[in-house]
Parts: sequence; structure tokens; C-alpha cells
Amino acid sequence: MNKKQLVKDILRHVVLALLCAFWLIPIVWLVATSFSAYSGRNTSNFFPEQWTFNNYIALFGSDTVANFKSWFMNTFKIACVCCVVSTLFTIMVAYATSFSKFKARKPMMNIAVILNLFPGVLSMISVYFILKALDLTNTHFGLTLVYCASSGLGFLIAKGFFDTVPRSLCEAAKLDGASQARTFFTIIMPLSKPIIVYTIISSFLTPWTDFVFAKMILNSGISDMWTVSIGLYNMLDKSLINSYFSIFCAGGVVVSIPISVLFVIMQKFYVDGITGGAVKG
Amino acid sequence: MATENIVAKKETILSSVGGFFKDFFVAVAKGDFFVKLSLIWLGAGYIRRKQFVRTLLITAVEAAIILYSIFFAPQYISKLGTLGTVKMESVFNINTMKYDVNNYDDSFQILLFSVISIVVWVVALFIWMKNVITVYNLQLKAKRGEHINSFFDDLNAMLNEKFHVTLLTLPVLGIVLFSVIPIFVLILVAFTNYDQQHMPPADLFSWVGLSNFINLFGGGSLTITFGYSFTRVLIWTLIWSFFATFTTFFGGVMLALFLRNKRTRLPKLWRALFVVTIAVPQFVTLLLVRNFFANNGIANTLLREIGVLQIFQHFGWIANDYIPFLSAPGWAHVTIILVNIWIGVPYQMLIMTGVLSNLPEDQLESASIDGATKLQMFRHITLPYVLFVTGPSLVTDFVKNINNFNVIYLLTQDVYTTTNQALANSQAKEVDLLVTWLFRLTQDYYNYKMASVIGICVFVLCSVITLVAFGLMTRGDKEGVYN
Repeated sequence: MNKKQLVKDILRHVVLALLCAFWLIPIVWLVATSFSAYSGRNTSNFFPEQWTFNNYIALFGSDTVANFKSWFMNTFKIACVCCVVSTLFTIMVAYATSFSKFKARKPMMNIAVILNLFPGVLSMISVYFILKALDLTNTHFGLTLVYCASSGLGFLIAKGFFDTVPRSLCEAAKLDGASQARTFFTIIMPLSKPIIVYTIISSFLTPWTDFVFAKMILNSGISDMWTVSIGLYNMLDKSLINSYFSIFCAGGVVVSIPISVLFVIMQKFYVDGITGGAVKG
Repeated sequence: MATENIVAKKETILSSVGGFFKDFFVAVAKGDFFVKLSLIWLGAGYIRRKQFVRTLLITAVEAAIILYSIFFAPQYISKLGTLGTVKMESVFNINTMKYDVNNYDDSFQILLFSVISIVVWVVALFIWMKNVITVYNLQLKAKRGEHINSFFDDLNAMLNEKFHVTLLTLPVLGIVLFSVIPIFVLILVAFTNYDQQHMPPADLFSWVGLSNFINLFGGGSLTITFGYSFTRVLIWTLIWSFFATFTTFFGGVMLALFLRNKRTRLPKLWRALFVVTIAVPQFVTLLLVRNFFANNGIANTLLREIGVLQIFQHFGWIANDYIPFLSAPGWAHVTIILVNIWIGVPYQMLIMTGVLSNLPEDQLESASIDGATKLQMFRHITLPYVLFVTGPSLVTDFVKNINNFNVIYLLTQDVYTTTNQALANSQAKEVDLLVTWLFRLTQDYYNYKMASVIGICVFVLCSVITLVAFGLMTRGDKEGVYN
């Protein structure tokens, strides 16, 4: 009996290790190649023949193809603005639809659900032309607008959280003479920390992980203007890939570090937010 | 809670609009002279009640709308019927040594600003009617001798009973500008001939009625292959969404169950290792994997070294000495779904771990006491529970996968070339989803008219799936079973 169990346990962990290995192969390849002395795609060996740190140095050098410093700063700038505006918009809409029972609430929410069904890529075409008419294409301001402007539509998760906050709290505050605005800032906000942190991080991550919108709007070909994603994508262009592949890998590693840290934090808060870690009625 | 549901059901869009119109007509019929005067001068009713700041503000809004309607809107809206008639022409001016451009029409600007003007006017109409209702209410208040708000009171109200107005104004403005107006413009473009031959500002485009839709659904002349491509791409889109949604879902459930099993040592470490793959941004991993599976990439080299390729070649499964992972139909379809499993399973596993932590343990225990096998327990307890909790998100995942641009585009762009002439004629590929096809049509071929038609189809597809799925789910009405 005991022996059978032991064999089963060993088997279980072997399967798990195999799965894990399978899942980690590309990541290992990414990290290994980022230290490769050969700049193109190494097609004959999994691990590089010669190791070097130069790819990381090249990232922050003055090469216009590997203009990682500018891309990183651009994306960071856009992400910061986006983070503030999107979070405000999302939380504002979520609060209004959850706590204020005004007349147009239900119709408005229905419209929002319908609008969410239109794929973002789709309206991009006309958004692009609107930005062009306003002379905002190839500007970071235009791209930021695209990321933030309609962020109010993503209110559903935060609303779901707000719905779990007991109404008695608001009523008590109202009886004590607090205005709705005051209730919002001093009672609801502190209670909703998980969902607010989740919203902040996820809106901060949008510009880092987005590819389509950035490519469409920042299409001038001036690498100073790009964000990380288009910059890295460009390195894999047919004419460049043979001299930039390992630098691309280094860039991928560098950009992954802050993102993965934030992602792990976000996951924790997401689970807290969904399972309603705050006060329950 | 129950009363709220009943109220919510009554608050349909139609009835609230009807009520609004009724209020308006009552106000006009029963209002005093100043209420009637507010039909022309919006501030009239407020000045009667000595609300001077309000009078000033609403008059300014009125003036702005009137100025907009006189000086800006007509030059576009008057041409909406034809979308412009004057082509751009440039004449070389010998005196200034420059090209003089005539006063040409820009079809797209005409379309865009016409839509904006219509939205502005709808909003203006709403303000106009709402204003009369408000003024009439003021009249009633004054009659009853109630307190009339001062401007300071109004400001205070914006932080209290009207706090939602303060909160919603900016987000709604953003949504209207960057979501609603673009969608209207897009729908209208589907009825024009806006493409590479008709590109403003150099050229004009015009209304063509339903001919784009006819082309897409197989009508039109023989040289147009959009009908064929649309069917092919649509079928693959649906197959892809189905597999992408369900493989990652069940993979995620399995992995989560595997990891939370009591006999698994160090579950946190294993979980962390899987999570590493999603912490790297998708565009990096996808571009990387695409090179990993390139025709002359490392995957093929390794397979050649261990002799797999030679076996495949021996059986005639591959024509060249490499596996065309991402460059031949069939192979590419399978690779894409496998890569998506690689990307999606860890993510689903994380979500499922959260869901499973609330699993009804008592039911599982009593089932195991009754002698149920593990498979029975999974089928009859775990799976129904997981499906109940994640059912709605499964539907949204399906819709998201229909629009999963990143995976397909980043894996196959520049790598996959179609050999199917009919598909190539309409710029589609076997591995395209509707959205990637649409993106290519706009980005590389400037075929906005067909892209818009496809866009509308995607929307219809997504809404039908969502409505049907949610309809089925709510009909079952299993709420309360797990509460």
C-alpha cells in the first residue's frame, strides 16, 4: 500500500516537472539568448556558444534601432498618465453606477455592455482618423487619449466589488451629515483598496503590453517616439533580425522585470477584490 | 434586493424615454410665460427665479451651440448627401513658385464632422427639453413656496444628490468621443466606397448603398473573392475561439486541481514557475515563439538532431527538411492553438485556483464516503460548480478569442504567406481571424469599406453569441443552488 502510494507520488511530481519544463523552455531560451555573443538567431544550438553581457549594454546605447532608453521612458510616461486617468474614470463610473440609483442608470449600463462588444481594433480605424483630423497622430498625447478616453467602459469589475460594500455604512455616514463626495473619499475608497490597486496596476500595464494601438498611432518611423512594444517588434524586421535578435531578447527580459513584479502584486489584489476581502454585510 | 430587481426591469430604455417626453410636453403646456420663453431663451426661467449664475451659464451654452450650428456645422452637414463634389486640384503658381490648392472637399472630414454635429444636436435637443422641465419644476416649487436653490446650493448638490453627474461627466464624454462617434463613423463607412482608389484628401468617396455587403456575402462579380474568403475566415475564427476557450479552460482546471491536491509537494513553487510564463508580456513571448518555430529555427534543428524530421520525411508528412510550424495551413492552425494553450493555461490556472478554493468541500467529503470514484466526483460536483462560477466568463472569453488579435497577428504576420489565390485576392490568409484580416485590410491595403463591413459582422457575431449564451444560462436559473 505504502509503496504503491510512493510510486504514485513520484509519478505525480515527474509529470509536474515535465509540464513545468515544457512551459519554461521558451523563457529559458529568452534569457539564454539575451546573453548570447552571436547577435542573430542561433539556429544550431539551444544555448549560446559564447556568453556576453553586451546585449544589455547595447540596449542603453545610442543605436537608433535599439533605442530602448527612449522607448522605456516614453512608455513609462504614457503609463503614468494613463494609470491616473483610467483609474479615476473607472472608479468614478463604478461608484456612480453602484451607489447612486439615478434614473438613467440601467439604460446607461446596457449601452456600456453593448459598446463593450465592439472590438477595440475595429473602432481604431475611425479613432485614428479622428486623431488625424485633430493632428494628434504620432504624438504621445494622442496615444494616451486612446488608452484612457473610453476607460470608463471597463467599470464592471470595480462595480461588482462596490456592490458588496454594505449600504448601511453609507446610510450611517449620511445620517452623520457627510456629503456623498465625502462618503466616497473617506469611507468607500479605503474599504476598496484591493480593487483600486488592481485597477491602478492593470491600467499602468496597458501601455506596456499593448501592441496594436501603438503601432497604428505612432507610425512615423521615428524610433525616438516609439513605445517598448513597437520598438522591440521592429527589431525583428526581416532586415534587422540577423543583427538584433539577441538584443531583442535582452529587451524582453528587461521589460519583463517590472511587469512581472506588478503582475504578481496585481494578482494578489485581484483575488482579494473578487473574493471580496473587505467588509461583508 | 428583490424590489430592486423589479424596479430595474421596469426601467427599460423605452419607458424612460417616453416618460421624459411626457414630462416635456406637460411642462410646455402648463408652464407660465417664462417657462414658454425658455423654449427660445434657455435662461428665461432661471432669471425669473433670480438664479443669475445659472442663467449666465445656460445662455453661454446656448450661444455656443447656435454659433456652432451657424458657422461650423453647415459646411459639412450640407455635403453629407454627396460626401463632397470638389476634387483636390493643385495649380502651379508662377508668381509664388508654389502649388496653389483649390478649396476642395474632404469626404472623410465631411462624414466625421457630420456625425459629430448630429451628436451635438442630439445633446442640444436633450438639454433644451431637460431645461424646460427643470424650469417648470422651479415654477412648481416657487408656487408651493419651497426654497429655490442658490448657485451655492447647486454646487453643493453636485457633491450630494447629484454626485453621479459630477462623477460621470468626464468618463461619458471620453466614451462618446472615443467609442460612440468612432462606431457611428465606422458603420457609415461600410456604406461608402472608401478604399485605396478613393482616398481623401486627394480623392473623394461617395455612398454606394449595400454593395459592400453584397460583395462580402458572395454576390458581386466573379473576380471578387470576398464571399469565399469571408466564409473561410469565419469558420476558422469560430474553430479557433472554440478550441482556444475550451482547451485553456479545461487545461487550467486540470492544472489547478493537480496543484491543489494534498499529495503535491511545494504547490506554491510549482504555481510560481507556471506564472513566470504569463509575467513576460505577450508580445515578447509570441514574437519569441514565432522565431523558435521558424522554418530554420531552433525547434526544427533540435527535431532534426534527434531524428524526428527524418521519420516525418520518410512517411511523406513534410515536403522539405523542416516542419512548417507556422508557414503551412494545417500545421500553422495546430501550432497556433498549441501556443495559445501554452499562453492561456497558466492564466486560467490562477483564476481556477481562486475559484476552487471555495469548492463545496462537504459535498466532496460525503461523496467520497458514499464511495464515489474521483472521476464521478469531478463530473458531478467539481465541474458543475466550476462551470456555475465561471460560466459567464467563459462566454466573454469566447468573444474575446474571436477578437484575439495579438496571438494570431504576432505569430503569423510576415511569416505566413498564403498560396490560395482566391484568399490572396481579398488579402486574407488561412490563419486569419476576422479582426486580423480587418486590420491588414486597413493597414496595408487601405480598404476601409470592406474592413468596416467585416467590423459590423464581427459585432453582430459577438452580440448574437453573447445574447444566446446568456439567455441559455439565465433560463437554467441555477442561482441559489450554491448560495
